[in-house]
Amino acid sequence: MKFPYYPGCTLYTKAKPLNTSMQATFGALGVEIVELPHWYCCGTTFTLARDNRMSLIAPLRILAKAQKEDSRVLVPCSVCYNTLKRTNYILKQDPEVLQILNEHLEESYDGGEQVVHPLEFFRDNKERVKSKIVKDLKGMKLGCYYGCLLLRPEEEIQFDDPESPTIFEEFVSLIGAEPVEFPLKVECCGSYLVVNSPEAAVEATYRLLKNARGNGAEAIVTSCPLCHYNLDALQAKIKGVHSEFRDIPIFYFTQILAIALGLGADSAGLSQNKVSPISLLKEHNLT
Amino acid sequence: MNKILKEKDFIKRIEEISNQKISDCYQCGRCTAGCPFAEFMDAPPNQVIRFIQLGLKDDVLQAHGPWFCAACLVCQTRCPRGVDIPRLMEAVRVLHLRAKEGLIDVDSIDKELLLDAPPLAFMSAFSKYTY
Ligand code: SF4
Ligand code: SF4
Repeated sequence: MKFPYYPGCTLYTKAKPLNTSMQATFGALGVEIVELPHWYCCGTTFTLARDNRMSLIAPLRILAKAQKEDSRVLVPCSVCYNTLKRTNYILKQDPEVLQILNEHLEESYDGGEQVVHPLEFFRDNKERVKSKIVKDLKGMKLGCYYGCLLLRPEEEIQFDDPESPTIFEEFVSLIGAEPVEFPLKVECCGSYLVVNSPEAAVEATYRLLKNARGNGAEAIVTSCPLCHYNLDALQAKIKGVHSEFRDIPIFYFTQILAIALGLGADSAGLSQNKVSPISLLKEHNLT
Repeated sequence: MNKILKEKDFIKRIEEISNQKISDCYQCGRCTAGCPFAEFMDAPPNQVIRFIQLGLKDDVLQAHGPWFCAACLVCQTRCPRGVDIPRLMEAVRVLHLRAKEGLIDVDSIDKELLLDAPPLAFMSAFSKYTY
């Protein structure tokens, strides 16, 4: 099976472990993920100003390129996923904008390219995943952190219920670990506020990590490189403000999948996690 | 700051940029109740909206609330009146930014963070805090 793949910029820089573990896990599942030829940045955070059409150019160009390869494209980064899906939604809703942008870019895109998140792929290919699991993750308690961009706005993203989603927990159960519910799994980590209002991001991150821990999570899984950064890297800062805070490892969902598939710590890119998950994996006899 | 627009056009301009009808909000406060960053805002989301409804342009433009909005869309999901609050917050920011006010000061970004954080953190911040 082949699947066109749009990694996005961050997977080539600060989120390499997400890329490495995507490649390794899909390879192990017998799916060849093929990077789009000549891709660009999606423009990141989607514009909320209706009169800002410029920022739709980058995502439209990616979608148009992807459509030339296949009717679907696999996108693991939550930010890219959100931007591409919201762009599609606008282009479907507003033929005038679609026409203007197509003319500008000399493309003939129709707004119909299907943007697929790996969690959706796993949901739809449960047997394929299950048959390849070789490590026993039983008893490992994982909090599934969705963040904002996979869920909202509901009408445009249509990923799962925005207030009580379950797709991530189903994935964690599928690979044999134990999902832990915590109320703040859908709340914001602070996102780009980390750049110029870091105190707000530190506080938001603290709240949700404490909430996950308090409900029994030993580690957290996420899919967004910016969430991963905030949850992982800001723990050092949290300790400066809240002395009782205890570290908690943060995995990309494909990192923990790589462990379950027996691909080892290198394929999972675990050495780049700031809060090391190694002792936790040892406790569960997974290294 | 009140050089930006004539008072009478203010509500209309916000409505145009945000594509929202400001009178839709009935001030239940649910957006503020769920906003993870309300504690950092001098005027929380529903109050900013109230200022806009009343055409209090100076109060809107002086409020810090919109700058702490992370566009997380929790309030948009929960608003019983279907108001897309982050679009209103963006419209307020955009009015400042297009008047070249409130632009992010790149030199003041923490150097350690610059080397450490993923590029999309900066790309996102630049797309929200530049014009
Ligand atoms: S939740 Fe909606 S109706 Fe209620 S105060 Fe906020 S914007 Fe207004
Ligand atoms: S979108 Fe903005 S205003 Fe609404 S809850 Fe999130 S941070 Fe608060």
